[in-house]
Amino acid sequence: METYTDPAESLLMVLREKLGLYGTKAGCGKGECGVCTVLLDDRAVNSCLVPVGKVQGRKVETIENLSRGGKVHPIQEKFVEKGAVQCGFCTPGMVMSAYALLKENPRPNPDQVRVAISGNLCRCSGYKQIEEAIMLAADKLKD
Amino acid sequence: MILKAPEKNIRRYGKAEGTGYQSPEVWSKVTGKAVYGIDLNLPGMLYGKILRSPYPHARIKKVDTTAAEALPGVRAVLTGAKLESKPFGIAVEDELPLAVDRVRYIGDEVAAVAAVDLQTAVQAIKAIKVEYEELPAVCDPAEALQEGAPQLHDNFPGNVAWQRELVRGSPGDAFTGADLVVEENFTVPAIHQAYLEPISCVAVDDPYTGITLHTALQSPDAVRKIVAGVLNYPLSKVHVSGPVMGGGFGGRVYGNLKVYILSALLAIKSGSPVKIQLTREEEFTAGRPMIAAAIQMKMTVRRDGTILGREADIITDNGAYSAQAPWVSKTVSERNDSVYRIPSIKTRVRLAYTNKIPTGQYRAYGNQAANFATESLIDMAAKKLGLDPLEMRLKNCVREGDITVHGLQIGKCGLDECLKAAAKEIGWDQKKEGRGYGLSVAIHANGSLVFDKNFRGASALARLELDGRITIFTGEQDYGQGTHAAFAQIAARTLDVSPAQVTVESKETKTAPFSTGALAMRQTTIGGKAIQLAAEDLREKIFKTAAELAGAPVTMENGVMCSISGQELALAEVAYYNHSATSGLSMTGEGKFVPEESDYDESGYGNISIAYSYAAHAVEVELDKTTGALTVHRLVAAHDSGRIINHLTARGQIYGGVAQGIGMSCLEGYLFDEGRVANASLAEYKIPTALDLPEIVPIFIEIEDPAGPYGSKGLGEIVMVPVLGAVANAAADAAGVRVTGLPLSAEIIYQAISGWECEQ
Repeated sequence: METYTDPAESLLMVLREKLGLYGTKAGCGKGECGVCTVLLDDRAVNSCLVPVGKVQGRKVETIENLSRGGKVHPIQEKFVEKGAVQCGFCTPGMVMSAYALLKENPRPNPDQVRVAISGNLCRCSGYKQIEEAIMLAADKLKD
Repeated sequence: MILKAPEKNIRRYGKAEGTGYQSPEVWSKVTGKAVYGIDLNLPGMLYGKILRSPYPHARIKKVDTTAAEALPGVRAVLTGAKLESKPFGIAVEDELPLAVDRVRYIGDEVAAVAAVDLQTAVQAIKAIKVEYEELPAVCDPAEALQEGAPQLHDNFPGNVAWQRELVRGSPGDAFTGADLVVEENFTVPAIHQAYLEPISCVAVDDPYTGITLHTALQSPDAVRKIVAGVLNYPLSKVHVSGPVMGGGFGGRVYGNLKVYILSALLAIKSGSPVKIQLTREEEFTAGRPMIAAAIQMKMTVRRDGTILGREADIITDNGAYSAQAPWVSKTVSERNDSVYRIPSIKTRVRLAYTNKIPTGQYRAYGNQAANFATESLIDMAAKKLGLDPLEMRLKNCVREGDITVHGLQIGKCGLDECLKAAAKEIGWDQKKEGRGYGLSVAIHANGSLVFDKNFRGASALARLELDGRITIFTGEQDYGQGTHAAFAQIAARTLDVSPAQVTVESKETKTAPFSTGALAMRQTTIGGKAIQLAAEDLREKIFKTAAELAGAPVTMENGVMCSISGQELALAEVAYYNHSATSGLSMTGEGKFVPEESDYDESGYGNISIAYSYAAHAVEVELDKTTGALTVHRLVAAHDSGRIINHLTARGQIYGGVAQGIGMSCLEGYLFDEGRVANASLAEYKIPTALDLPEIVPIFIEIEDPAGPYGSKGLGEIVMVPVLGAVANAAADAAGVRVTGLPLSAEIIYQAISGWECEQ
């Protein structure tokens, strides 16, 4: 995808305002809440902290990519199954952090899951059902 | 003749709740398709920005907007002097849309602009020149109440926003010659709801429809009433259209009225839609957190552990303007009294204006602050008397049939069972070496009969669609608590269809029944009852029409009706038959749930709710005595919220509410440097992460309460109440000394165990 923009703009602003990808949320603009998490070359980053100039030629994956063609990703499926989605505002970022974790470590233990999502704040869920969903998704993905 | 479907044939979807039915909205959320307030973008939309006071208290001498108005791209500039507004408010009327001659906190709204983009709006704000004359400020609520303190509002002398003194029973006698009196001063800081989506609003002014506020609210009708009053618009010309809400927790009941009013005023002035979105910093510095409270409390107890009386002198910190602080202060001052059989009480509560951020409400409405104080005193008394804290609570806790000291009528009540279950699960009788244990109990009302005595219940509509699906129209809001899933289940159970056949609509005030909204833990019990009644009414109509169509009485199972002669009728067929017979009307059931009036009197004595929920929490902690760091290992949350409609979402409420309770107990709280918020970011105001929480064990004591739909009651607020007392008691058990100020940070605990005082 090509877009012409100020290289100092944040990746988050470009995703949302220039490319219309509103699935990635904005909560603080300072890398504190994690709702803007996307994958940059397979690693989870806070897109609000990434100047878009640094992204040239690299792979960015957002929540929109996970359910292309109407099929949801097993992580998304398990989030729903386990009740891990409440207000849902942290969910896209949370799903992307889980996605990054499972790419790097397909068989995480619960401690590793908690560490992987510790940069993603959630005020609704107490994280328990999110953790359960990610563990279950890992199980499903390895089959 | 109308024949009701025989009971035995009805498939109980309510019992299939273990499968965890969820509202289809979760699929939009999990795929990133859900549209939240911050995502909204309308054609021709302008961006609004607010200029705020840099001083805690100052006189505005002059506001010059010439340079801002001259900036290309600026479409509207508002100042207080140019607006003709009367004071407005929620509990008391003490606010103006923009300050006219005085600012009262750092963050007070002074001017607002709308421009073609955010950068221009920010530039315009910077171009406004304001001359201030600083005034002496008062930031401590106790100082604010003293004579000679700087006065904030002319019509609230002595800086008293609200106060109440209350005596019930004979507290004087109770304290005379008592076996034991325990007494302590407790402090709870102001707490932000910390919903992750900052508040935003897109206001549209249209000559035909009036004002539409595109913003997510827990109580849209309450807000549009106030906004209509301020704008001087007819109520039917002010609408709220709700996008998906990124968290509420009480913070979006009235939300941020200034944002809605100013975006509307800018939209009117500019003629274009205007979006105002708060930054995270504005959320922390100009939002509406819950009041801080200083609670001086004493309790008198007989040698055998029977509570005889309770006295409290409470000062709550209102900040510069009063959103819901009087109501929250009232809850702090009395709700927790009703969890025990306390014969006599004496209470004074004073809500003081200070030059700080105004305050609103948070999940549980301050009941949790009182829980921290009362439950701490119970453990202090038990320790002094050599009693088991569990036994002392069992001895005093309320039971079915009781009328509490404030007149609350205790109906179905599983509080003692909750206590026993929580204590058993935490291992109360097999405590581990080196760990601390604590208990706490709570009561919380399911909505209020007295908040508006003329509007005590809820209503709903259930409409049969032409395709045989059911649409429920309600003003009760869902932002992830699972309310709408529960409503679909209630309607489905009544109509004997699958919950997936039911759609719940609530976000447009143009079509939703007027509602009190998502507050006071009322939605499941009161809103749910209205939905049950609407579905019952629709069921009657369906049976009547189906019998007409079939020419014979019908029974129904799983959404299919069957006549006595064996003819099967789908709901869609009945819908079409009615559609044709009425030339287009939909078959609609009306649900009107109007609870009986309360015996509530002038002194505030009486039954305030149709039902109460109960909880007991037990906590196991570990304390690192070299650093003071407290680790909460395990928390058992035993709840009587009647029959649980949906265990999956109910568990979610417990995990999430307990997490907020842990946050308030151990991490959270506003810090002020004079009037300035010293921790106005999520890095400094720390809410729990996935690494900060204990193992949480939910237990449901399911005692059917006939007050609610299918025996169910509210859960969403009470979940966080007992956490505070339980954690404080466990920390005291582990430390050997008691910390009486929240949060229980390592620093404060270390000071307590070492006896060191750290200079701030």
